[in-house]
Amino acid sequence: MQNMRSPLVSAIGLGSAKKGVGPWWAERVSAVALVPLTLWFAASIIAHTGSDYATFIVWLRTPLVAILMILLLAALFYHTALGLQVVIEDYVHSATKFAAVIAVRLGCCALATAGVVAILRIAVSG
Amino acid sequence: MMPSSTTTRPRPLSPNVQIYRPQLTSVLSILNRITGILLSACAVVLVVWLVAAAWGPQTYAPVQAAIASWIGRIVLFGATFAFFLHLCGGIRHLVWDTVHGFELRSIYISGWSVVAASVVLTVAAWVASASMAG
Amino acid sequence: MIIRSSDQVPRTALFKRFPIPRNFGVSRESRIRRGKTWPAPRVATRMRTFEIYRYDPDSGENPRLDAFEVDLDDCGPMVLDALIWIKNKVDSTLTFRRSCREGICGSCAMNIDGTNWLACTRFISDLAELATIYPLANLRIIKDLVPDLTHLFAQYAAIEPWLKSKTAEPERERLQSADERSKIDGYYECILCFCCTSGCPSHWWNGDRFFGPAVLLQAWRWLTDSRDEAKEERLDNLEDPFRLYRCHTILNCTRTCPKGLNPGKAIAEIKKMMIQRRS
Repeated sequence: MQNMRSPLVSAIGLGSAKKGVGPWWAERVSAVALVPLTLWFAASIIAHTGSDYATFIVWLRTPLVAILMILLLAALFYHTALGLQVVIEDYVHSATKFAAVIAVRLGCCALATAGVVAILRIAVSG
Repeated sequence: MMPSSTTTRPRPLSPNVQIYRPQLTSVLSILNRITGILLSACAVVLVVWLVAAAWGPQTYAPVQAAIASWIGRIVLFGATFAFFLHLCGGIRHLVWDTVHGFELRSIYISGWSVVAASVVLTVAAWVASASMAG
Repeated sequence: MIIRSSDQVPRTALFKRFPIPRNFGVSRESRIRRGKTWPAPRVATRMRTFEIYRYDPDSGENPRLDAFEVDLDDCGPMVLDALIWIKNKVDSTLTFRRSCREGICGSCAMNIDGTNWLACTRFISDLAELATIYPLANLRIIKDLVPDLTHLFAQYAAIEPWLKSKTAEPERERLQSADERSKIDGYYECILCFCCTSGCPSHWWNGDRFFGPAVLLQAWRWLTDSRDEAKEERLDNLEDPFRLYRCHTILNCTRTCPKGLNPGKAIAEIKKMMIQRRS
């Protein structure tokens, strides 16, 4: 199947989308949020090595921890969705690309919601 | 510039990743991507762990046992290394986004620093964890 | 370990290439097979073997890798001298582009020992014992070491690399202060050899839509030129998830530029300008 279009027209393609800064900026903002949040989370997990279920639940129930965990989940899944979308766009070039991107975005939404509900359940239940 | 006849065979493509030399630039970049994908899987595990914790000690116990098993610890060690590599690499990327550190010398110094910092932080994290448990 | 400038050749490397099969993921017409070995015409005291990618479009065969023994006392010090020696003394069908032989025209850009560089400015003494010479990576090959650069030059034309003005033409020169003129230093010197674009993994996977470092460096050259008055259109033209934002700051481009330029930095400046105009 020969391409008979001129090289310039092929290079221009469908033209510039005139959008692209949004996702790039969002990935950086979520990254900046994730640096302190993930370090805090890693330090907390290390501090709780070997503690039992009850201690862990009491820690998760404190309001500050619950808020930080929810922020962590939000930033983490936002950053993950954007990053994975870029990876898929890089390597998948067929129509499967759109299905994969939709699956990743919806999956991240679902997982984030599940995580937030779990934290709220721990925080609110007596 | 196209071949004049439609029956001529297509021109071969010169090899790219098959022959291009791996350099600190490309290797750290692909490692940042690979660790990012691994950490996405870890995010899923994080949610599974939280949901198990929220639904009571009976659902939490098998998840905790899996993490505490020897295979779980190996995976967790790999995950911590991936986390610190992606974190340090990510900070390096954020610095680049302010248009600083683009001279080749800075690129190489920051690159090796990322590798060194990741190893040091991983070992420190696991030593701290061991001292907490012990 | 610490590379200070792009002309530094690493003495040792853990891997000369990524540990994947030689013809990994390669289409049928591009698979490379073992070729002929060409001994030097007479025995020499200092010899080096060059493995060179060959492709003859008239033969109907796949590309191959020929091994040439080069008498280093009979040819000049640069890789281009070795190629010319081979063409004169051993195999006159060896085909490559060349012109200035001093690193300013960009014709002899090729992949030497795994990295893209100009053959006329790479010393033979910097090469490995078994030197490998391939054409610029990920390009359609016309013959031997001659790639088809049509698409790359079309991408260059797509950024409209000329001065655009909205105000009336001045009586004499378009004025520019010394500070303003210094802003295009490091960008106007590009010789369009395409070593950088051909070494960019993002361009390998998305070269049809991603403009690549060479074209984006030139796009920045025009964005930062104070005499140009079309910044808005230029930025609109570039703001695209593929044209600009396939760049993930891999930085193979800056590592390989034979003129010591910094396409990675130019692209970062474009991204910064993109943020500045909407915030």
